[in-house]
Amino acid sequence: MEQPLLDAKLLRRLEQFQLLAARRTKSGTKGERRSRARGQSVEFADFRNYVPGDDLRYLDWNLFGRLDRLFLKLYEEERELPIRIFLDSSESMSFGDPAKFTLARQIAAAIGYVALCGFDRVSVVPFPEPTGNAAARGALRSVRGRKSGLSYLTHLASLQAKGPAAFNDALRRGALEARQTGVAVVLSDFLDPAGYAAGLNALVGRGFQIHALQILSPEELAPTQFGDLRWVDCETGGIQEVTFGKFRLKAYQRTVQNYVQTLKEFCQSRGIAFYSISSAAPLEQVLLKQLRETALWG
Amino acid sequence: MSFLAPIAFAFAAALPVVVVFYLLKRRRLTRLTSSTVLWQRFLAENQANAPFQKLRKNWLLALQLIALALVVLGLARPYFTGSASPSRLRVLVLDASASMQSTDETPTRFAKAKREALSWIDGLRDGEQGMILLAGAVTEVKQSPTSNKTALRRALESCEPSDGPTRLAEALQTAGAFTFEKRGEEMAVSGEIHLFSDGAATDLGELASKNLPLIYHRIGNRGNNLGIVSLDVRANPENPAERALFVGVSNPTTNIVSTQLELRFNDQVLEIKAITAPATNTLPVVFISKQEIDGLFTVKLLGQDDLAADDQASVYSILPQPVNILLVTRGNRFLEKGLRGAAHARLTVRDSVTETDDQFDLVVLDDILPRAWPKANLLAIRVAPTNWFEQMDSAKAPAIVDWHHTHPLMRYVSFDNVDVAESLLPKLPPWGLSVVQSQQRPMIVAGERDRHRIVWLGFDPLQSNWPLRVSFPIFLANAVEWLNPSLSRSSELMVRAGEPLRWRSRQPVSEAVITPPKGKAIHLSLAPNSQELLYGATQHQGPYQIRTGTNLVTFCVNLLDAEETRTMPQETLPIGKYAGVASNVTQVAGKELWRWLAAFALGVVLFEWWFFHKRTA
Repeated sequence: MEQPLLDAKLLRRLEQFQLLAARRTKSGTKGERRSRARGQSVEFADFRNYVPGDDLRYLDWNLFGRLDRLFLKLYEEERELPIRIFLDSSESMSFGDPAKFTLARQIAAAIGYVALCGFDRVSVVPFPEPTGNAAARGALRSVRGRKSGLSYLTHLASLQAKGPAAFNDALRRGALEARQTGVAVVLSDFLDPAGYAAGLNALVGRGFQIHALQILSPEELAPTQFGDLRWVDCETGGIQEVTFGKFRLKAYQRTVQNYVQTLKEFCQSRGIAFYSISSAAPLEQVLLKQLRETALWG
Repeated sequence: MSFLAPIAFAFAAALPVVVVFYLLKRRRLTRLTSSTVLWQRFLAENQANAPFQKLRKNWLLALQLIALALVVLGLARPYFTGSASPSRLRVLVLDASASMQSTDETPTRFAKAKREALSWIDGLRDGEQGMILLAGAVTEVKQSPTSNKTALRRALESCEPSDGPTRLAEALQTAGAFTFEKRGEEMAVSGEIHLFSDGAATDLGELASKNLPLIYHRIGNRGNNLGIVSLDVRANPENPAERALFVGVSNPTTNIVSTQLELRFNDQVLEIKAITAPATNTLPVVFISKQEIDGLFTVKLLGQDDLAADDQASVYSILPQPVNILLVTRGNRFLEKGLRGAAHARLTVRDSVTETDDQFDLVVLDDILPRAWPKANLLAIRVAPTNWFEQMDSAKAPAIVDWHHTHPLMRYVSFDNVDVAESLLPKLPPWGLSVVQSQQRPMIVAGERDRHRIVWLGFDPLQSNWPLRVSFPIFLANAVEWLNPSLSRSSELMVRAGEPLRWRSRQPVSEAVITPPKGKAIHLSLAPNSQELLYGATQHQGPYQIRTGTNLVTFCVNLLDAEETRTMPQETLPIGKYAGVASNVTQVAGKELWRWLAAFALGVVLFEWWFFHKRTA
């Protein structure tokens, strides 16, 4: 049996959180989210003239007595907030100590749990699609309600990191398949050779509120292997030869910083919330501090 | 600016080697990574793999190249021409005599002397000059004065010992000429003479130089040696048909030594004698052997000692040929009877000389002046051509005051109680040697003229009481033997090591091939119609062969030197009549350390390169 992604103590603390949505939900399902749609609720929204066939229970009798005209009271209907989590489960995510994929699943579990406790609908889209675990993918396609939290965590823990990322294709397909927009959380290392711009642009085009969380391993931030090296890409099999001395470590770190900065600027220019974290960072610190700073939840 | 050792610039080849080491692509380690995106960006930003880009701004490499260049420059020993004080000259005299081949030093004394001399060369300071003389039978200047240590070392390496004696006096006189310089009216010492020898030299008493700046480096530590110092072969006095070999074995040590002496004839062992050589003495040994053909007699000491060059000696023995003697006389029974008694003599008596008498080996003229002088060896009594002597006097009853005891003519001959009535007294000619001397001038002269030996008597034996003495027939026998052409040719075929060979051919020869005992044959070209050959490369003992056309002649080179056999190193060298030089076993000399420092610097550079590569691994 796999280790649980989140312990009970952390789960109890997460129940106090609530996902923050900058935009009003457009879901058609009733929930605890305020929407612009008129419906049954306890909050008054507006009036409109009575039309034959309307529910007589919503007639404003006080106004009829004073104006001798029939008016119908309108209330704000509470709707659910769709949460779509794009989880990078490619081969590259299995690198690092601890592995990047472990932290990614933990973050996905935390976000999903918070959403489920808020009666929001959670969808997890792992990319590339797991070929050997279709049941888990199907179970994670649409999850709702607190009672689904346990099975959600269990299925999420059973995912494995394999295959090439195909980052852009996965996000484009996810953007097209979504019938309703909402909050999109992208958990990836953003190291796909094909880049990341096309995929993120597709999500932005659909109107998602996007949170991009980049996870890099300590080895990627500061390599510890030196000399005449031949690097082999685990996903593409590509080879890159490099002579790397200790005196070049700073130059490499500058390259990594430049890459992260470029990604950050790309996201900021498109209204995407971005944060880069290390896979070696403590989980509680990431969930309770860093993600709150990004306004993902509060 | 110039350089003392420009060959050191060859080390500059290390400069590109250092650069090549940086550029050589080492074996790369293969590693799996999550993505190569970051590495590709890193290389694009730094261009690390571009050709020669890794050399840019590599100060470590620059420092290494500068350090290496300075090392190479130092090895080349740059200098500027300027004024300097006169340099001191150190003359190295290396004894190359036979005794220096003693094996009491590893491997030989000569090798040790070379090693010590090499250390001495390394100890030369800047500005000092060295010179190398090789002292053998003849002094050879191996290297003229120079401060080039490489040339000195090369000259020293080319020095080889010989099997001959040494003439240290000549070598030291030559060295002394270079170590004195005239300053005003005085001769001042401007150098040193370093003699590497075992002191086996007897001619230093003749050295007349005073205040010679000689430093004697004694080589050798013991004198365990036994050697052959004399060898002669002649007819057996008791049986002329047999040959007798007279061998002298010298034992210079203070112990009685027992060993064996082997006699070989043409490489066949004839006899082995057990001998006991008395201490500090020479033991005469006589071998009696029959000889049917001309051949090589070799005697060899079979024991083991320090010096092998004197343990063997050879002599080429030619069978005695009958000597045809022509006696021209008016009647002298004493003379005729004495000549007939000589060994291997065929006597013909006539009263005159004709032109057809050239086949005689020896002509005896008994106070008869020939019309034509015969072309043969002569025993002339009271007759001489006009060009033999410049002045000729006559004396009545001359007193015989001395005679040459060591001359072959005077073997067992004494002129005591010999009275002469009258004698011609010529002035001693340059071609002759006085054998019997009167008060002022010679009475008997022996010499060589026009390639013929001559014995001249100034008095008529019949006018003296000499024929009645026993020495008269002995003298005639000695004269016949000395004047015998075959015996004289035989004596030419044995020379001492270091002395030149003088060989005469009966027919004119234009070229000859000489084969040493060890080594390649040497081709010699002679003057047209020449009948005489001179060969000086006789440094090694053993039999040599001379081939002229179809004629093959063997001659032998032997040491036969009692002084060289005495291999005990001398603590003190006698210089002149009264002075002496003590040995100096060790000589303190400065040694240059810059070579070691340069080697250390090179090691540092290489280590730095290794460390640089290690920190990138």
